[in-house]
Amino acid sequence: MHGVPCRGGSGVKVLEATGIRKRFGGVVALSNGNLACNAGRITGLLGANGSGKSTISKIIAGVYHADAGQIRYKNKVVRYRTPNEARQNGIAMVFQNLSLVPDLTVWQNIVLGGEQSWGPFLNDARAKEIAREILDTLMPGLDLNRMLSELSPGEMQIVEIAKAIAARPKLLILDEPTAALEKAQVNSLFKFLRGLVKNKVAVVFTSHRLWEVMEICDDVTVFRNGENVAQIDFKKDGKDPERIVNHITGVSRTRAGHRARGRCRGRRFLHVKGLRYGETLKDVSFHLRKGEILGIGGLSGQGQHELMLALAGAYPTSTCTATIDGRRIRLNRPATAIRNGMLLVPGDRQLEGLFLKHSLFTNLVFPKLGLPRQPLFTPVARSREECAKAIDVLSIKVQNLETPVRTLSGGNQQKVVIGKWLSFDASVLLLADPAKGVDVGAKRDLYDFIHRQVREKKMSVILYASDNEELIQHCNRLMIMYEGQIVATLEGADITDDAIVATSMRVR
Amino acid sequence: MQAPGTAARGAARRFVARPEFSTLLILVVMFVLTAVLQQNFFEIKSIARNINAFTPLILITMGQAVIILAGGIDLSAGTALSLFTCVLTTVMRKADPWSGALALVVVFAVAMAVGIINGIGIGYLRIPPVIVTFATSFIWLGAALFLRPTPGGEAVEWFKAFYNVGAIEGVTDSFLKRFTDVIPPALLLVVIGCLFWAVVSKTRTGRYIYAVGSSNDSAYESGIDTARVQLRACLVNSTFILLAALFFVGQNQSGDARMGDPLTLRAIAAAVVGGIALTGGRGSVYFALVGALILSFVNKIIFFANISSAYQTLVGGAIVILAIAASQAYTLSNRRAR
Repeated sequence: MHGVPCRGGSGVKVLEATGIRKRFGGVVALSNGNLACNAGRITGLLGANGSGKSTISKIIAGVYHADAGQIRYKNKVVRYRTPNEARQNGIAMVFQNLSLVPDLTVWQNIVLGGEQSWGPFLNDARAKEIAREILDTLMPGLDLNRMLSELSPGEMQIVEIAKAIAARPKLLILDEPTAALEKAQVNSLFKFLRGLVKNKVAVVFTSHRLWEVMEICDDVTVFRNGENVAQIDFKKDGKDPERIVNHITGVSRTRAGHRARGRCRGRRFLHVKGLRYGETLKDVSFHLRKGEILGIGGLSGQGQHELMLALAGAYPTSTCTATIDGRRIRLNRPATAIRNGMLLVPGDRQLEGLFLKHSLFTNLVFPKLGLPRQPLFTPVARSREECAKAIDVLSIKVQNLETPVRTLSGGNQQKVVIGKWLSFDASVLLLADPAKGVDVGAKRDLYDFIHRQVREKKMSVILYASDNEELIQHCNRLMIMYEGQIVATLEGADITDDAIVATSMRVR
Repeated sequence: MQAPGTAARGAARRFVARPEFSTLLILVVMFVLTAVLQQNFFEIKSIARNINAFTPLILITMGQAVIILAGGIDLSAGTALSLFTCVLTTVMRKADPWSGALALVVVFAVAMAVGIINGIGIGYLRIPPVIVTFATSFIWLGAALFLRPTPGGEAVEWFKAFYNVGAIEGVTDSFLKRFTDVIPPALLLVVIGCLFWAVVSKTRTGRYIYAVGSSNDSAYESGIDTARVQLRACLVNSTFILLAALFFVGQNQSGDARMGDPLTLRAIAAAVVGGIALTGGRGSVYFALVGALILSFVNKIIFFANISSAYQTLVGGAIVILAIAASQAYTLSNRRAR
């Protein structure tokens, strides 16, 4: 079923891309991309990382230029050279990596690139009005005059969407808009999108969260290895998540099931009492058992991220009483945390976890260089052997050790971050949203690997995930955070979606 | 249900917590120290003398601030200033007043060319700004030395109007003379510079300079022609340097291929003292002006504090570092308290 051309559903066809090809250097990103969008419909775009769905979106939005193929927009063949040209013609894209400017305010960002003006001078009053109007439905509480750099990731994502809408597009492309959003924000976004669709706007929606796609989209197009492999119209073909996942992975596998994991009976070995950091962490106390996977959940931006960083020793000014096996430890320097076996896999792997421009080898070997009693010169041959073993264990798909990490897909990059710590004796692995932006197949590999490590090495894991599904599937125990405090702890069979949502929103 | 004073007090507290407040605080300290050390500080004559001494650094710093805000840096500002003075004094003939007008036209063209060349290198060729402007600084220096191997040249009489109207031959006890005794032309040049930036900052270019410096990729993805914005930032910078050149030739009636050299790094330091982030996108051009004032007062303090000349440079550097460190500590302590 390769290369099935897209069939439009009801409504007027706004855009039709056929036979799009694109290569970056030696890598073929798109071999045969086809996509159709209709006015008044939301089309879901699904596929693993590197399947080409992001590439085709960016070609339509004028960010990249196709090597071959044609794009018909409003019944004319078009070829936009810049995102600006596409936007002026009514095609707006919400970027996955935010296209916002940190040192401008919220309203300045919303109108950026399309400022209202009186002759040569900016008309700021009108710009603020426009921004206010859009945010009133999307996020009423947000202060227009705040600097963008002060916002939470979720708020930034909302601003990004508001910015795309300010251009009054006929075709709106959303590339993973919900990755940083909490459930309430997702709901108001969906309400807003339904309003847009009523006004005959065509929407393209990309997300790794299947339930969102099932909820909001009218039809989905699935990409795999640079081509579209399936098109499903929900009204005609019904909603079958199994089938979609099979299209995405290309392999038919039986589902693992959603059963929660039982209690962990290991010895309590890590105690943290009264952890405080500024305004974001207020008196956090908990313990961790050997071989336990302890989840941290709650609405986004309630201090989960800061808690992970504080445990990894990233904050010199955080205070707490922490003991490992009854021994006092200080958590104010990353080096101390690492020596005590508390190893962080940071949330933003590209910014915090990797040297993107450097080779796989450099990235894997680097953390060991700082250990005590290392030889003056790195034993290259032995290190390379160890790295090869790590790559094998993690099943990282790569040609050789010299490959720059930048060129790997998101899932493989995340594996490299974990691979950095493989040769260490981890007692606690701190995972900050490890599956964010990772496709379904790689996500499964990743968690399989983590569970294996926990079983074999009696390692413990503290897992923060923005997706409740992951927490339910993988945690023995789950702590819910709210405004810098732990407000509830769920264990074993009590970890359900309902319970998480209820405790997160302080309903219970 | 807020008491009427609460909102105002909240705004005041927010302002006190801003990094700009510490910059102003340092300015006040330097101002007071200078006023204490320099006995005749408040006499009109010495105020005018101070303004004249501070003006070139202020103008160069404001231009530099614009470039840094746009995500660049200009290492050629000093030699560009030298080049402009050499161009002016080469074109002008003392005997022919009209040659002054011609010189203004020529130097304006040269200034725009300087801006365009830097702008093409930084914006369109995407060469790192440090490299581009380091290279062009030698081109400007070479051109200046070609025109004026040794300091000298001539200027028309009315060019003194950029420095001191009273010094022009033939101008006797007119209103103009009395006016410029109180408000020296140098101050007017600074005001013109401020007005110029006030206008630019209200246009798209002004907004986009911040956007491009803050995040070049995001600005590009928002449909902004980032190369053109950087080119325009270079042109704005050239204009500020040109204003400084007019003042210099008015003051000295001559050109000098090496006079601008020490100003380049002083201007960058002044911009940083004024709160301009070297990473781009953050800071205010007006506060860069404050930074230039602080640096100028530091010079005055050292001069009047009777420090042996061997140590003056060292003490000056130490004061600047202390000032920046104090400001940083202040900002950090406020952020932590929040």
